[in-house]
Amino acid sequence: MFLNSVVLILQEILEAALLISVLLVFTRLRSIRPFWAIAAIASGAIGAYFFAHHMASISEWFDYVGQEVMNAFIQLAILFILAIFSAKYLGNTHSPHSSQMNRGFIVCTLLLVALSLTREGSEVFIYVGGALGDPSHVQPTLMGSVIGAGIGISVGVLIYYGLLGLPTKRISTSGLLLLSLIGGNMASQATLLLTQADWLPYSRILWDTSSWLPENSILGRLLYAIIGYEATPSLFQVFSYATGILLIFLCAQFSFRKQPPMLIKQTSTTTPQ
Amino acid sequence: MKSIRIFLIASILATLTLFNFIAALQGYKSSLHEAEKLFDRQLLQTAKLIANLHVDKTTNNLNQLSELAYQVWHNDQLLAASNNAQVETITEHHPGFGYANFDGYRWRTLAYFDPSNNNWIIAAERTDLRYILAEDVITKAVVPIVLGIPFVGLLIWLIISRGLKPLKDLSVRLKNKQVNDLTPIETPELKDELKQVTQSINVLIRRLGSALEREKRFTSDAAHELRTPISALKVQLHNLKGDLPAGNESFIQLQSGVERMQHLIEQLLSLYRSTPDEFSSHFTPVNLYQLAQDIIAEQHLVFEAKDQTLALEGSNNVIDGDPLTLSTLLQNLLSNANKYTPNGGSILVSVSGSKDQVCLKVEDSGPGIVSSDYNKVFERFQRLNNKPEVTVTQGCGLGLTIVKHIANLHHADISIAPSSFPSGAAFTLQFNKIPGQDAKHS
Repeated sequence: MFLNSVVLILQEILEAALLISVLLVFTRLRSIRPFWAIAAIASGAIGAYFFAHHMASISEWFDYVGQEVMNAFIQLAILFILAIFSAKYLGNTHSPHSSQMNRGFIVCTLLLVALSLTREGSEVFIYVGGALGDPSHVQPTLMGSVIGAGIGISVGVLIYYGLLGLPTKRISTSGLLLLSLIGGNMASQATLLLTQADWLPYSRILWDTSSWLPENSILGRLLYAIIGYEATPSLFQVFSYATGILLIFLCAQFSFRKQPPMLIKQTSTTTPQ
Repeated sequence: MKSIRIFLIASILATLTLFNFIAALQGYKSSLHEAEKLFDRQLLQTAKLIANLHVDKTTNNLNQLSELAYQVWHNDQLLAASNNAQVETITEHHPGFGYANFDGYRWRTLAYFDPSNNNWIIAAERTDLRYILAEDVITKAVVPIVLGIPFVGLLIWLIISRGLKPLKDLSVRLKNKQVNDLTPIETPELKDELKQVTQSINVLIRRLGSALEREKRFTSDAAHELRTPISALKVQLHNLKGDLPAGNESFIQLQSGVERMQHLIEQLLSLYRSTPDEFSSHFTPVNLYQLAQDIIAEQHLVFEAKDQTLALEGSNNVIDGDPLTLSTLLQNLLSNANKYTPNGGSILVSVSGSKDQVCLKVEDSGPGIVSSDYNKVFERFQRLNNKPEVTVTQGCGLGLTIVKHIANLHHADISIAPSSFPSGAAFTLQFNKIPGQDAKHS
């Protein structure tokens, strides 16, 4: 129970922590106060509670594959907002920003974190809620959850300060890399869930690395959260993973190209007298 | 990384938590492995015990324990078994450990051959109960690591706060230093790491002091050296005026040039005279409305010459400031309005107060300023001749630079907006009000 709790909570918390860290770094670059994070975390927690609370009825939707379909839609929504975020805000982190642009940035980041936490948090609620029902599982579940959450949050904090410690030019590049991996991960997970729900056909397994690095190991879960590691990915999953990464990357390129040229100090057109 | 303290606490605590928790996980896995070996040894001892005891007695003692099952075989014949054991053999009669499923559970099994009686003892323990027992013991060892993290965090916070105290003290000492205090910072109790910083600051303070001293001397010398020849030049011009016919173009140009030079020198000296921060230490209460009245009374002839209407609105409002520089500020704003407002135009000066602030506004009905030029007008030597209908007779492009400079010295915000007239610009200055001063001066 202890190890199961660590593995599950670590995966969920790490995915959310990674996204929040990268978005907080971009918030800092734009000199916006990070109050949105509190609102986003609170909304995500409330969303997660309601999602978990109604999971039984949600599961009955779409011929009893409601949970898979809803989770897949949330992940595709995250991917979609991530693409908008990359296209609009990734390239012009250092140019002066209008308040309207900053509002759009805050709405995007708030939605991303709230949606991500709703999905991750609901799974935590369901697992912990179920495990705590048995008194003999209370202590190992709580200890495992705290350790999983502690590792996930610590990695998030270190990624945040690690990114901020980079030279300014590299922060955007590294942030783009991490956001692309998150995008690929979302697309791959959504494909897997839709395949499980029979909304997508099964495709052949491309490789099996479970003997080298099982998905359920701590390292496997860490890599799953960071780069979307799957020991036995299907053809569709690999395709959607690559598509997700490419989508975020192309959107970011659009944003980088749209970036206004550096303002050159204008010389006076008037004649001193 | 806006706060060094938060960065240090968060990153150190995250690193400690990460490595502690990963170590706890590794410890958990190793302990679980050791517990498995311990349980296996215990199972072996149980099997040996069963082998050495009389079969019937053993049956009576062990058949009450649901987590343990056993069988005693002799030449493929079952001699004895616990109640929960099946009739068939639990595991093959090969010595060693293994796993088997029966009675609705998964069991850890051991086949042990007793050479003295030629019996096979098969002992089995429920794996779920072994796991729960092991996990319970090991998790208890993890609890202090988890519960210790908040205390470690508190300790890190205290240590870092203590470590950063000299830096904080130095920052407070620098913050509390008076603007005109150019004495070096005392360094007797400073830590080694801060000594270099403090020494560099002291060197900078010394160099700043010397630069300010040089500037003061230059201003004083320049005032004397430049004003004297210009005054002499003006006397010569006055004498020359009598010798030349009225309306001589060269004379008019010469006179205008000398006046512009005198104006430029006065403005330059004014700009440099008001540069040092020591001004704020000599601030006194100044009634802005009263000051505006005085300046308007002094300058009304200039406005009359252009047939301009000059009005003053508002009430007594007192701020903390330097009367001399504030007079210069008002003179420059009025002079600017006078220059850029066409003949017959209007200029309105207003002084109003709110709870915390005093607003001084000078509006004109001139051509106004394009919003993109708002910041440009405060730059040195900037004169915006974008309105060809306005002819400016005199100016050096420093007046509004000085206005902004004086506003900065008084911690006032200055802004430009369209005036309340159909055209024109409004210069608004927001000063901090001295509380409770209105009554005295009203």
